[in-house]
Amino acid sequence: MRNGLWSPVGLRRLRVMTHKELLQLFRDAALMVFFLYSFTGDIYLAASGVSMQLKHAAIATLDGDRSFASRELAGRFQPPYFKPVGDAGSPGQAIRLLDDGDVMAVLDIPPRFNERLQRGEQVSVQMQVDTSNSVLGFLTSSYGAQIVGRYGLEVAALREGMSGAGAGPRVEADVRVWYNPNQNDAWFMGISELLTVITLFSILLPAAAMVREKERGTIEQLMVTPLSPFQILFPKVVAMTLVILAGSAIALFGVLGPLFQLPMRGSLVTFFLVTALYVFTTAGLGLLAATVARNLAQVGMLTVVILMPMLLLSGAWTPIEAMPPWMRGLAWISPLHYFLDAAYGILLKGAGLELLWDSVLAMTALGILVFGIGMRRFARQSG
Amino acid sequence: MPASVIHVDGFTKRYGRRLAADGLALDVQRGEIYGLVGADGAGKSSLMKAIAGVLSFDAGTLEVFGIRVDSERSAEQVKQRIGFLPQGLGLNLYPDLSIDENVDFFGRLRGVPDTELAGRKRLLLEMTRLDAFRQRPMRQLSGGMKQKLGLVCTLIHEPELVILDEPTTGVDPVSRRDFWAILGRLLEEKGITALVSTAYLDEADRFHRVSLFHEGRVMGQGTPAELVARVPGTLALFRAEPQAEALPVLKAAFPQTEAMGAWLRVFADGLDPVQARQALGACLAGVPGKAVRLSDWFAREPELEDVFVAMLRQRGARLDTTLEAAATTRPPDTGLAIEARALTRVFGDFRAADAVSFQVPQGEIFGLLGANGAGKTTVIKMLTGILKPSSGEGRVAGAEMRSAGSAIKERIGYMSQAFSLYHDLSVVENIRLYAGIYGLDDRRARQRSDWVIGMAGLAGYENDAAGRLPMGLRQRLALGCALVHEPRVLFLDEPTSGVDPIGRRVFWDILFHLSRREGVAILVTTHYMSEAEHCDHLALMFAGRVVADASPEAMKQQLAASIGQLLELQVDHPAQALAALHTAGFAHVALHGRAVHVLSPDAGADLRRLPALLSGAGVTVLAAGLRPLSMEDVFVQRITALEDAARRPS
Repeated sequence: MRNGLWSPVGLRRLRVMTHKELLQLFRDAALMVFFLYSFTGDIYLAASGVSMQLKHAAIATLDGDRSFASRELAGRFQPPYFKPVGDAGSPGQAIRLLDDGDVMAVLDIPPRFNERLQRGEQVSVQMQVDTSNSVLGFLTSSYGAQIVGRYGLEVAALREGMSGAGAGPRVEADVRVWYNPNQNDAWFMGISELLTVITLFSILLPAAAMVREKERGTIEQLMVTPLSPFQILFPKVVAMTLVILAGSAIALFGVLGPLFQLPMRGSLVTFFLVTALYVFTTAGLGLLAATVARNLAQVGMLTVVILMPMLLLSGAWTPIEAMPPWMRGLAWISPLHYFLDAAYGILLKGAGLELLWDSVLAMTALGILVFGIGMRRFARQSG
Repeated sequence: MPASVIHVDGFTKRYGRRLAADGLALDVQRGEIYGLVGADGAGKSSLMKAIAGVLSFDAGTLEVFGIRVDSERSAEQVKQRIGFLPQGLGLNLYPDLSIDENVDFFGRLRGVPDTELAGRKRLLLEMTRLDAFRQRPMRQLSGGMKQKLGLVCTLIHEPELVILDEPTTGVDPVSRRDFWAILGRLLEEKGITALVSTAYLDEADRFHRVSLFHEGRVMGQGTPAELVARVPGTLALFRAEPQAEALPVLKAAFPQTEAMGAWLRVFADGLDPVQARQALGACLAGVPGKAVRLSDWFAREPELEDVFVAMLRQRGARLDTTLEAAATTRPPDTGLAIEARALTRVFGDFRAADAVSFQVPQGEIFGLLGANGAGKTTVIKMLTGILKPSSGEGRVAGAEMRSAGSAIKERIGYMSQAFSLYHDLSVVENIRLYAGIYGLDDRRARQRSDWVIGMAGLAGYENDAAGRLPMGLRQRLALGCALVHEPRVLFLDEPTSGVDPIGRRVFWDILFHLSRREGVAILVTTHYMSEAEHCDHLALMFAGRVVADASPEAMKQQLAASIGQLLELQVDHPAQALAALHTAGFAHVALHGRAVHVLSPDAGADLRRLPALLSGAGVTVLAAGLRPLSMEDVFVQRITALEDAARRPS
């Protein structure tokens, strides 16, 4: 065909349409401010503020023994993990401190604690933990159990006359922390937030661009030109992909790199290629949403409706393996799930395409499927 | 003594940097129907909203019922005595409530006691003939019915003053006439004062007095007759062959020259009919080349629109377009540009277009008329290739619709009523975008972009955002974008809604130039009946079918032959005159301000006998005369007859 898709005229059409999308986007001041903030300020906040570690958890003691041993045990709950706030005074007072959220945990040491330890009896201490935040609660109780357990071992060893380490038969777990040796939460949270922001804009930008044309009636004008549905939709995706890649570069080289020393071990070219692929896949969802929505407000709502399950199912917040089986099935169709694997793999583990080909392949397949459905719906709607 | 219901002085309103109303002054007397006439953005709505107490303003004084409205408190005092119908079809109504529920809601909102509400509702719904549909949800009503319901809801608390903002915009001519008739009767019976706005200049004679608005200022005030008398002159209608040669010469001497199909329409200001004939004859004698033949001469009083344009011209508005005769004049091809053969489109069991057939030769301006929902848009969508026909064939620009859809798209231009421009792109960016879409290379794109800027008079605006242009320029830019690839066939869907009279005239000049000089075939849909007169040929659509297909002239002659000629009677008591004429057996009688229009099968005899007939009813005829039939008369009569036929069980 004379004016086929990849003929000079076809390419000119793609070029002017992409140029138009970029111009329109850059002139939308409100959207640009939101965009720039999301790729800088928001990622900075997520990387520096949110932590999955136990830090300065307030802990009160109820010392019923007031002995050397009880003070020794209570004294082992130290910063940076814990923040001792002193004795609670009475059991009622302890409960109140927990209820008010003033302390995270209360360590309850029974009377005759020291005496029974000396006698070689088994003694229990009680720890009451506020687990309304289940992650922190779990960390508090397991750290607490570890501290108490270690103290118990030491007391037992002393009683057996063995002092110091290595004196008796024992198993020492020697942990090697790979990929994030300092267990720096900023890396994980920063990347996670970046991926979330990329996802948000991949849905929002093409959908908003599309629905704006619907609202203003320009889409009707485009339909009577020789442009095919592909030539109308694809430039939007190309333009938005370019802009989102630029945003990601700002986030990586302007925020995560210089401020949080994110290592970026793998090939950045691979990372941006995979990101482009992901944006294309997700943009298909946005265009699909735009065929349903009638105005910008509806696009906003639909974006949230699509984004939330994508995040929940991706494994960004919970490992896939921990989900109920039916949800695990759904996770396989969340493109973010594959992107997450690839992005952490490339940035933190230095993985290349030879390891990530399956994720990339799955993303490609999903992208073609979703974009195809979106284009069919669009063509039918306006046909 | 007539008391002033509304008194406005120095009213000024700004939106940001834009001055929407600039020192407006007007005075509305009790019992008057006062009209605000002007295009979109002329300042009518701002003034109306301020009078209704729902918009603050920047300067000036505003008194309603003698109460000065300058604060929320004072506005509340007058609100109960006012009924306000905002602009937009049924925007103040609730789409999911039925007619009954909507009226009840507004009644209770206004604190109408239940005992009175039922009675008033029955009466108003009866008068508006909505009583048969009381249970129907508002969203299922036609545009005309929505506006009538809006009127009922505005009147339910028996206000002393109603403010109606463009109640007839977007309503088809039949419903529009119906609306005016009902409004006139209601106001007359209840002694209500009304402030009504309209964008249609030909509706101005529905009012007792009017203010002509233009760009935030009042250009003139008075009765329609007074305004027309303000700019003396003669309106001449004639043919001149060859028309395309005569037009530029006439336009140079008489800026208010328009081509109406095969006719020319010239407003000769300051000249009486005899002088006008001489001046025009002398002017045509100066046409270079062969002699121009002038025939079918008619001279009469100008219409309000001619006067309005003359006033704007006196203030410096320019009507000329810089369209040089195309250097590359194409060989006149006389083939068919559009050919529709029994085009049908079915949605479910609804036939949106039913065996539509017509032909448009190259170089013709073809008008497709019809009420909303008559099928005009469906036909355009099929011809432009957006919509597949269920059956039927068509050829557009030399390509078969069914087999060569993409070829058609490359050869046609299309402009929609929304002027589908990208508001955030500049003038040049918009043009370049469409140039690229149509595959023009950079050199051609630059050439065509210069041509569009010259044609549309956009020099100096090249880098302005399209959204900030005045309506007239925006419309011409949209036209330019549709013409960027020099299409042979141009489709225009309601191209002039919201544009001021000057802008409309320039626009039609351009269309005329394109059709006559460059041989472009133009298909226009419109429900501005005054615009239909510009077309060479018209097809009238009703319920998906083409029910008439002829030149405007032929349609008018048919109407005159079948129903009669139009008489205008200036009388002292219009309402009584209306009733008396009805009783005397005249089927087509309508109220226009203080005048009554009657269609008479035997005009000569009726002109003689009507004064006596009316004086029997206590009405004095102040003046009586013939008026030319308008396309609106044709449209309304045809459609009313078809509607009646459709309603009668066959």
